[in-house]
Amino acid sequence: MINRLEATRYVVAQVTDEPIVASLGNAKFDLFLAKDRPQNFYMWNSMGMASSMGLGLAMARPQQKVIILDGDGALLMNLNSLTTAASRAPENLIHVVWDNRQFELTGGQPTHTAYRTDLAMIARGAGFTQVASAETQEAFEAAFAHALKTPGPWILVAHIDAQRSPGRPPKSATYIKHRFMQSLGIEPV
Amino acid sequence: MTWSKQITQLLKDYNIRFLSYVPDAIGEQILKHARQDAFFDLLPLAREEEGVGVVAGQYLGGSRGAVLMPTSGVGNAVNALASLAIPYEIPLPMFIGWRGDLGEFNSAQVPMGQALRPILDSLNIPHFMLTRPDDVDTVVDGALKLAFAHERPVAVIISTQLAGWKDEK
Repeated sequence: MINRLEATRYVVAQVTDEPIVASLGNAKFDLFLAKDRPQNFYMWNSMGMASSMGLGLAMARPQQKVIILDGDGALLMNLNSLTTAASRAPENLIHVVWDNRQFELTGGQPTHTAYRTDLAMIARGAGFTQVASAETQEAFEAAFAHALKTPGPWILVAHIDAQRSPGRPPKSATYIKHRFMQSLGIEPV
Repeated sequence: MTWSKQITQLLKDYNIRFLSYVPDAIGEQILKHARQDAFFDLLPLAREEEGVGVVAGQYLGGSRGAVLMPTSGVGNAVNALASLAIPYEIPLPMFIGWRGDLGEFNSAQVPMGQALRPILDSLNIPHFMLTRPDDVDTVVDGALKLAFAHERPVAVIISTQLAGWKDEK
């Protein structure tokens, strides 16, 4: 089983100035703990929107990889975004899904991946051809390193444990936005 | 120039290259012009809420986008508007084909059609109705200017008075 914080630490150690969009809850808490960097976009609500926002960012910045750190519950809320992303198929998109088979933040209620639902198979069915599942840190590291070097779009489903994160990123939405845009060298457009 | 061609031209004037959409008969009148213009990059969505996230990502990545959706799609997009586009201050021009009002044949369109403006009001999203061809340039120009100055969603509602309603009893 993968530990989300350990795997997130690996992700931020592999990137330089690539933007990372982190879904609400523990995905963004652990991203903050692993490394608070201005190229991190912390989503404080908008459950499910990380996948759509990452797609938009990947369309606007085709010259660099764009990474999404998502959760199983959030992705299940916006599954249709997989069909949109797969149809557009931006080569620079890496969509990581931390799958702990539960709504961890709200008390550990099981998500559908606790039973019959397989997000990697859904991604393939949506039209993704570059899909990997990882059960161990070693397998995740290999898959992520490969995804960084090869054209995507990639879906990496990481089967993680259920450790709550104490990380708390900045709470000002406009601070997050302005810091993020400035770090990419973007003036308001 | 038709109203739809005028809107397409104004989108270009504002350098809004990315158009995300869920199709409807009214929005299609704009999209048919955009499809023939290499300036535009169109993204079909499966659900309107995605468009809020997509335009947010495009804007944070340095490019302007807009969303075209039917009236029902505003219902599908409410939480993303309220929790992403508004607090993070994302300029988000929305072009909404109005259903459920003048000339409507389908009773199941009416409740959402009548709720459209109260929903936008409750989110403090400025909205402007297009009804007369003579107003299109002024209203759309002004709405786009407002969206990027205010850095929030701004809605342009395209009425059936302007775009026509479905010829069905």
